[in-house]
Amino acid sequence: MPFAGKKLYDALVVGGGIAGIESALNLANNNLKVLLVEKDLTLGGKMIMLSKVFPTLDCSACITTPKISEVARHPNITILTNTNILQIEKQDKNYFKARIKEKARYVNISDCTGCQLCEEACPVVVPDQYQYDLVGRKAAYIPFNIASPRVASIDMDNCVLCGACEKACPTGCIDFTQEDKEYEIIAKTVIMATGFNLFDPLKIPRFSYGNSKNVITALQMERLLAPTRPYNHVLRPGDGQVPCNIAYVLCAGSRDLSVGNPICSQICCMYSIKQAQLLMGALPMADVTIYYINIRSFGKGFEEFYEQAKGMGVNFVKGKVGKITETDNGNLILWYEDINQGKVIEKKHDLVVLSVGVLANDEPKKLIQGWEKDEYSFAHQKDLFYTPSLSSIEGVFLAGTTSGPMDIPDSILSAGSAAMEAIRYVKQTSIDL
Amino acid sequence: MKQRIGVYICHCGGNISDYVDVEKVREAVAQNDGVLIAKTTMFACADSNQKGMVQDIKENQLDGVVVASCSPKLHEITFKAVVERAGLNKYNYVHANIREQVSWPHSDNKAGATQKAIQIVKAAIAKVRLSEAIEPLEVDTTQAVLVIGAGVAGMKAAISLSKMGTKVYLIEREPFIGGRIAQWDVLCLTNETGKELVSRLYTEIVSNKNIALYTGAQLVDCKGSIGNFTAKVKLSPRYVKETCIDKEILKKAINACPVEVPDEFNFGITKRRAIYHNFPAEYPQTAVIDMNSCTRCGKCTEICDKIDLNMKEEFLELKVGSILVATGFDPYTPNEGEFGYNVIDNVITLSQFKRLLAFSEPGKLQWHDKPVKNVAYIYCVGSRQVDGNNKYCSRYCCTATINTALKSNDKFPELNHFHFTRGIRTYGKQEQLYHNASKSGHVFFQSYEDDPCRVEHKNNKTTVKINDILTNRKELEVEADIVVLVTGMVPRSNNNISDILKLPRGRDNFFNEIHMKLRPVETVIDGITIAGACQGPKNVVESINSALSAAIKTYSFVGKDKLMVKPEVAEVTPDLCKWCDECTKACPFDAIFKNEQGVAQVNETVCKGCGMCLPVCPTNAIQLKTFSDIEIASMIDVLANEL
Repeated sequence: MPFAGKKLYDALVVGGGIAGIESALNLANNNLKVLLVEKDLTLGGKMIMLSKVFPTLDCSACITTPKISEVARHPNITILTNTNILQIEKQDKNYFKARIKEKARYVNISDCTGCQLCEEACPVVVPDQYQYDLVGRKAAYIPFNIASPRVASIDMDNCVLCGACEKACPTGCIDFTQEDKEYEIIAKTVIMATGFNLFDPLKIPRFSYGNSKNVITALQMERLLAPTRPYNHVLRPGDGQVPCNIAYVLCAGSRDLSVGNPICSQICCMYSIKQAQLLMGALPMADVTIYYINIRSFGKGFEEFYEQAKGMGVNFVKGKVGKITETDNGNLILWYEDINQGKVIEKKHDLVVLSVGVLANDEPKKLIQGWEKDEYSFAHQKDLFYTPSLSSIEGVFLAGTTSGPMDIPDSILSAGSAAMEAIRYVKQTSIDL
Repeated sequence: MKQRIGVYICHCGGNISDYVDVEKVREAVAQNDGVLIAKTTMFACADSNQKGMVQDIKENQLDGVVVASCSPKLHEITFKAVVERAGLNKYNYVHANIREQVSWPHSDNKAGATQKAIQIVKAAIAKVRLSEAIEPLEVDTTQAVLVIGAGVAGMKAAISLSKMGTKVYLIEREPFIGGRIAQWDVLCLTNETGKELVSRLYTEIVSNKNIALYTGAQLVDCKGSIGNFTAKVKLSPRYVKETCIDKEILKKAINACPVEVPDEFNFGITKRRAIYHNFPAEYPQTAVIDMNSCTRCGKCTEICDKIDLNMKEEFLELKVGSILVATGFDPYTPNEGEFGYNVIDNVITLSQFKRLLAFSEPGKLQWHDKPVKNVAYIYCVGSRQVDGNNKYCSRYCCTATINTALKSNDKFPELNHFHFTRGIRTYGKQEQLYHNASKSGHVFFQSYEDDPCRVEHKNNKTTVKINDILTNRKELEVEADIVVLVTGMVPRSNNNISDILKLPRGRDNFFNEIHMKLRPVETVIDGITIAGACQGPKNVVESINSALSAAIKTYSFVGKDKLMVKPEVAEVTPDLCKWCDECTKACPFDAIFKNEQGVAQVNETVCKGCGMCLPVCPTNAIQLKTFSDIEIASMIDVLANEL
């Protein structure tokens, strides 16, 4: 549903990743009017960027896109993308006032057909954040093929105002005069589905990320493996060679006091095992080694998935990697403590994947008064067992990784949980808006 | 015959197009009889393509649509909704699976895969040509829900549903509610105990008029289908009236009981009488007599006149629109001799150890009158089995053990903890507990996968030996006063619910959801949802989240007066039926009956469209809507012709 300045909603859902989408659907299917606000240009969050998902190896897009499509056409859901929440204030009568800012896209959404002629015309090339910087994109661009909405946007930080896109656009929908718009809306309840941040491996200089092009993050590997992959093959970014000896460094930024993150990220073991299996399919000749502290394959079907990877020939080495150095030809030397042998060993690989972890996105703290966080900056769960989705604020509920690391199935269940509590909350507050 | 058919062939990113030449498929079917449009698409399920399809259908007045993509399990519903949005009847849609059935299994033979894809798509076109528009069946729904199992998941689900205004019948097989958590005492990441959590839930349930709670209640039969189930529940009597509120008299009555049997609440490490209550988590607060062990000596009745040994079991018939199953788990019971279990006296399970910690006096932990100082925990007992059937990880046990060990020191500072692990899995924030335990002197060992630790008992001493991973297989040993086997979760052993409700189980033998991410709390039986650990190992928070997800799904079934159900059901041609009764015998859902005209008739809301009745009919009087003989024959013709 188009926004059209509508002011009153039953629920405000902050975040259009899988948890936000699932929450919105649950609310809307039970007849609540929902405003779904996403700060990015497209719905889908991190999940839509993934290749396949463990342990079923379903293609991630195939699970996300129909849900997005359902959200997009739901009569009870209004969507605002490219929109920031400025502030949420709880009013004394059990409702919330939110100030939101819809950032200018410089494209009129309703007229854009997603033809991408503006993209062709644009002379500017910058790293594509949706491909985790593996390739470039234009300053006039649609985020990716299955984005929702699948419309263009002008990246004004990089635009040179040459006007080429405007000339190329067949529907005349490009509008350089567009400005950010601020609205105030009112909602009876709020679901925070603001997701997580990825650990930035630049914080561990000894892993050589940023210096060695063939040290990549697991999210970059997701893109290399995805059906919509940028190179249409798994190639190492340094020189475009097909890698044949790939290493995974688990717990990169997790369970690591030296970077201030003592907890386990809960997903990295499994996504690494999944990627290893996919690599064995994509590059049948390649060796894949996973360096781990403990393998945490704890969910339904996960242990079996781990055993399957072992059976396929993935090499699991118990040992923490201490340092990565690059050789002249772009290959990499891993220095690790081999627990089995009790000594430090050097091992050569031609591509290293850092299995980066989950960090809290503590943005909600800035958005709403009374927001409490736990010692890891995730949302504080006020009544952990009785109402796991309840935040420190009555009427504000937590979905997905807002409250801690979670895999997709757990995020989806937590979104259902938050939606149920939000509906109950709205039912009991009989205010007339 | 449909003459304006649209065919869409999906790349599925590269999932299909890497192995199937989708353009060749398109060319091969574009000229097929009745095909008006044939297109390929990168992601058929993406919103942009869905919009394009709607436009195509409207602009070209398409009368049939085929999408060749992934398994219909994933997206048949998606595309049926697309054609419906375009104003076409959704039964004029046919799905062709060229991913699970073609590109994935035939990734080694691209030419063959392409040929197979062509045939499958052509067969789907043949079927859609003959397809008929049918309308969904509308059924009235009973706005009530049956929740099976009053553990934390079932209780929480019941409370949430009741708050939506739904009538809830909450049945618990045991005489007391609370499930495993009532037994669990300390929980992790907060200071709330299992007993406190259960008390809160119970208090809310009994004060709620929309919830009818039955203990000692067992589902014995269930008929009907989504919207209208009739559940038959057997109520076992307590033999103690609710009016028995004088605790002193009851205490005397209990003490008068001459029978002593192992107390299952304490996992058999203490004894109880035949008349008992689950101290301390005793909800409802009325005692019960266990008739399997009662000798009917009458001693208790002499003391308390509120006890009546002649109470009879009763049966309830509940009419509900949906059923939520939350029957929980059993702790794994080790085999005789497994790490010394039942052979060495001081080898017990984690469940037993937790009860022992709960009821022992502070500072005096004893096992069979001997003080306990060194505790050895052996992990993954009954989970991640190399030889046994339980291949899965039980998820909760690493954290539960470390948490129990850590908190035990508050009450028993004298305890030393030795953990014999297979790699600790304290995922997420629970890692902090592992960290704390390591810092406070707990000793962690890890065994090799092919070389588990061993428990030995010699000269009145029990030792655990391990070839530890950190010491490169050097044998280490710990003399333990008590050995705790960290037992995993297994499906409830005496759970006949799956037979009664016909719920499928996964390879781990827990109940199976339809799809872990798309429909994580629904089962293949419409209207029946699953929650908590009956679906697979979960901790408390995960169970509650799944319970609420199941509740919201259940509510969507019963929240409205009417429900639309699938019309793909069997249909009898009355003129052909000679009533031989074969179809009623073949029907697993009791959906066929003899009508007043003396011929077979199908109860459309009960029929699941399984097709079991079709082949047994000697006169071919039964057809399955959307899968009629001529439709199937037309598909076979196409597939066979190409050979």
